[in-house]
Amino acid sequence: MLQGILISAAAPLGASLLTACGSGTPGQPAGGGNSSGRKVINFWSQQFEDWQSAWEKKHVAAFNASQSKYKVELSIVPADAWAQKLKAAQAAGNGPDVYTISYGNIGSAVSTGSLVPLNGLIKSQYLDDIDPSIAKFVSAKSTPSSSLKQYAYPWLVEPSTVMFYRKDLFQAAGLDPDKPPTRWDQLPDIAAKLKKGSVYGLGTASVAADLSWSSWGLQQNAAEHYPVKTDWSSADPTITPYAKLAEFYSSLYNSGGMPKQALSAYADGTPLGQGKLAMQITGSWFIGLLRQQFPKLESKIAAAPMVSIDGDQTRPTATLGGWTLAIDAKSKTQDGAADFITYLLASGQSVMMDYFKASGWSKYAARTSIVKAIDADSAAQADPFRKIITDKIVKYGVPEATYPIDLSTDFATAIEKSMKGTSANQALATAKQQMNQYITSNKLAGTNTQASVQSGS
Amino acid sequence: MAMKERSSVRVPRVIVGVFFGLAALFPLAWMALSGFKLNSDVLATPFSFFPPSWHVENYVQILVDPDFSRAMMITFAGAAIFTIFSIAINSMAAYVFARLDFSFKRTLWVIVIGTMFIPNMAILLTSFIVVTKLHMLDTMLVLILPPLASAAQVFFIRQFYLNIPIALEEAALLDGAGRWRIFTRIFLPLSQPAFVVVGVTSFMAYWNSYVWPIMTITSPNLYVVGQYLANFRVSRGPELGLLMAGSMLAALPVIILVLIFQRKIIGNIKIAGLK
Amino acid sequence: MTGAVTGSTGRGMTELPRQAGVASAVPARRGSRKIAGRRRHRDNLIAYLMLAPVVILLIIFVIIPLISAGYLSFFNWSFYRASEYVGFRNFVNVLQSPDFLASIGRGLLFATMVVPTVMILAFLFANIARGLGGRIAGFVKTSIYIPTIISGVIVAIVFTIIYDYSGGVLNWFLGLFGIQPIAWLADPSIALPALAVPEVWMMFGLTALIMLAGVLDIPDSYYEAAALDGAGWFKQMTYITIPSLKNVILYLLIANFTASLQEINLPLLMTQGGPLNATLLPNLYLFNHFTQDTYQGQPIAGALLLFIVLGAISASIFAVLNSEKAVDG
Repeated sequence: MLQGILISAAAPLGASLLTACGSGTPGQPAGGGNSSGRKVINFWSQQFEDWQSAWEKKHVAAFNASQSKYKVELSIVPADAWAQKLKAAQAAGNGPDVYTISYGNIGSAVSTGSLVPLNGLIKSQYLDDIDPSIAKFVSAKSTPSSSLKQYAYPWLVEPSTVMFYRKDLFQAAGLDPDKPPTRWDQLPDIAAKLKKGSVYGLGTASVAADLSWSSWGLQQNAAEHYPVKTDWSSADPTITPYAKLAEFYSSLYNSGGMPKQALSAYADGTPLGQGKLAMQITGSWFIGLLRQQFPKLESKIAAAPMVSIDGDQTRPTATLGGWTLAIDAKSKTQDGAADFITYLLASGQSVMMDYFKASGWSKYAARTSIVKAIDADSAAQADPFRKIITDKIVKYGVPEATYPIDLSTDFATAIEKSMKGTSANQALATAKQQMNQYITSNKLAGTNTQASVQSGS
Repeated sequence: MAMKERSSVRVPRVIVGVFFGLAALFPLAWMALSGFKLNSDVLATPFSFFPPSWHVENYVQILVDPDFSRAMMITFAGAAIFTIFSIAINSMAAYVFARLDFSFKRTLWVIVIGTMFIPNMAILLTSFIVVTKLHMLDTMLVLILPPLASAAQVFFIRQFYLNIPIALEEAALLDGAGRWRIFTRIFLPLSQPAFVVVGVTSFMAYWNSYVWPIMTITSPNLYVVGQYLANFRVSRGPELGLLMAGSMLAALPVIILVLIFQRKIIGNIKIAGLK
Repeated sequence: MTGAVTGSTGRGMTELPRQAGVASAVPARRGSRKIAGRRRHRDNLIAYLMLAPVVILLIIFVIIPLISAGYLSFFNWSFYRASEYVGFRNFVNVLQSPDFLASIGRGLLFATMVVPTVMILAFLFANIARGLGGRIAGFVKTSIYIPTIISGVIVAIVFTIIYDYSGGVLNWFLGLFGIQPIAWLADPSIALPALAVPEVWMMFGLTALIMLAGVLDIPDSYYEAAALDGAGWFKQMTYITIPSLKNVILYLLIANFTASLQEINLPLLMTQGGPLNATLLPNLYLFNHFTQDTYQGQPIAGALLLFIVLGAISASIFAVLNSEKAVDG
């Protein structure tokens, strides 16, 4: 109580000083506001590429024109301001009705009661259209005893681990550009072979912040599960598959083919585009960057699934990241929000096809009907990357880890240590201790709302 | 100061001195130079020191970028307001402590000076809580009000005022002039040297701020220049030529300010009191 | 007087009170004491009115947050959840926390790399530049001062490209001598020294100018007398220059030590504390915990401990310098 007094003592003093000379956030009407007879739906989208924002604006306008009951107001929020802004707006009671949320954040949003289940709001035929494996990404149980519901509607998926390489540099090094490596132990040598002069052979994550999420695919590739148990009760990163993973990264880093200081963040494929790397492991979104910034290079670039621990390419190598739309639990226009989501993502084909076409087929569909439509589209068929990524990477893709990122960062720190000189076993043992300490002090056990749809230890 | 030296001693001094100067300027020169390069040339391999082709349009392009120019203007406006009010209230307090006698003067002085020693980090979180409860987040106010009162500035201006001869006010006091009039009629006109220093310092502090803005400002249209650049690095990372040009332009206002007032500032580093 | 100029947070001025206030101190003269007691009441109203803005603002934005921080440090406190009283446990935990202690150690290491370098360079500069006159002096003084006023964000941005592995000018320059590229920001043993360079660069200007002013204050006659007695430059430096600068050196040591210990912009923007926490300096450690943790009683306690240490150092030096001034009149 005293703390309340201390803090609120400032308020009456401060109130008199407040002259509203601030240009605050452009007034977001609280959900349920009226705009010329229509109910306002606040739609917050995180900021993506320009073409995505353009697509959003276009179809928001189309939705607004197609009916007279609701008016959607779009706000595009930069990624780094997102969390803070959302929290602040929700605390103030004028948060969005509909917003973008990534697959990995759905579980925790459900556990804090932030999202409304879509099962009653969106027609089941549309929910059924979601690809079954991706449907799991958006499903959760709000309490261990409730039934499984879907809390967000998928918009797209994109694999976070694709091996892009320069066919011409492969050839120059005496490698067959049509036969990229398939096994872990093949990659270090190839990276070394490809290094020539100022061009490095391979680029991938080498710092904990990047490794924390970009190594998920390889974690699954090695162990077929994540180091943290599905019920979040404990973690064991010291098992052999993860030790092999750490050693794999170390062999790449020390192969002589990788720059010792990353030339860019993991997600940024610019070095490959600029010709500083012969190969780069990054997400499928690189295709968009390639076409936009380095169009002349496109014909020289090929894509392949990431190397697999034993060469078996039906093992997962990539996690499927991506975005969804969800409805805020405090929204006063849930029906309208659901209508909007149905219009934009869930029903028909034209809106979604427009999106994937605008993406240059570099994003991948989460709805079975759309996947089929894209397959049948002649322009899509002609795309050099789409088929290989859809058939060989997305097909075997796995969900991202949904436990708190600190755990993944601890694991990634162990990998970075292994790359930079510590023994893998020692580093992973430290990680085990840190991860379990985090789990205990944050009381994570039993709090995974998606435990029932996640497989693994 | 004007020691006569043999030229054989003087020339090396000049060389070394100029070397220091150039070394100090090199990173900035590098930044300005890189601003003339194509985005892909800034960190290109093979390396080229000078731009293979000079692109003045980087500077133009970033200037006309609405987000950049807005950040520059709004930061400038905020800095100007901040500077003016900072000088105003801190000089008033300085005058009061320098010349007036009043109950609890000693206590208040100790309290004010005491705040000088509180590191920002100690109160970062709790002052964030305070401004949240006051609903100041995401407004200009949150960047201006909290840092406005500065014990250090009060201290500095007070030192300056203590040096103003009492004789100047005694005549006025005898004539029955009030303290406020003495302040505005006598002290303020004489305050220019101190105000130049304090003003430039305030402007710079606001212009260069980063940690507080990133915690309290989330709307892109209110970003200060530092936030804009940091954000640009993340969201438009590959556009390095633009980033360098923008950074150079963002550094210019404070550089210009210092160049204008350089004699007053640099010349005034008096430390007689430290002997 | 040019204090409060290096990498500022939004509360620039109070960040570097040491430089701001003391560097420009002109001998104090307390003249108004002779006014009779009756005056006190006449002054009260106007005094309080003129003092109000500063005092009110300091109370709201500095004092209340400080008291609040002190209070909250005894709780397991969270912005959004209920908190419980835990007594001194936060302080105990923080003092035993290997991460916190490691960041303090790093801060001290960083300060040890930065401060002596700056002081020596500044001293060298001051002794060399004292003989310069006119235009050259102006150019040199202004040039070295400019890095001091550049925003920490911009410094971070430009040094990040200087330190780039394959395309950075530094590795290129070293390559001219056949040296292999160095991972300045990715090698855990090099990253912290790599950050010390921009820190020195930013700190040098003001320190050198203050030192120069101090050196210029030493009467030529001292040196002439010493030269007549046969003392060479080394003896002159040791017996005249350095002792005369004692207070200046002391002041600069403390100001720069506390400033470098509190550096946050560089690690935040260049390495995010990495690689492997090699550049996780104390303020960045605290900042990360403030912005990420659910329970923040512990980082608050950590910040207060840091404050006590830094505050004690600053306040004691301030007192020493002030009392000495009083002695000199």
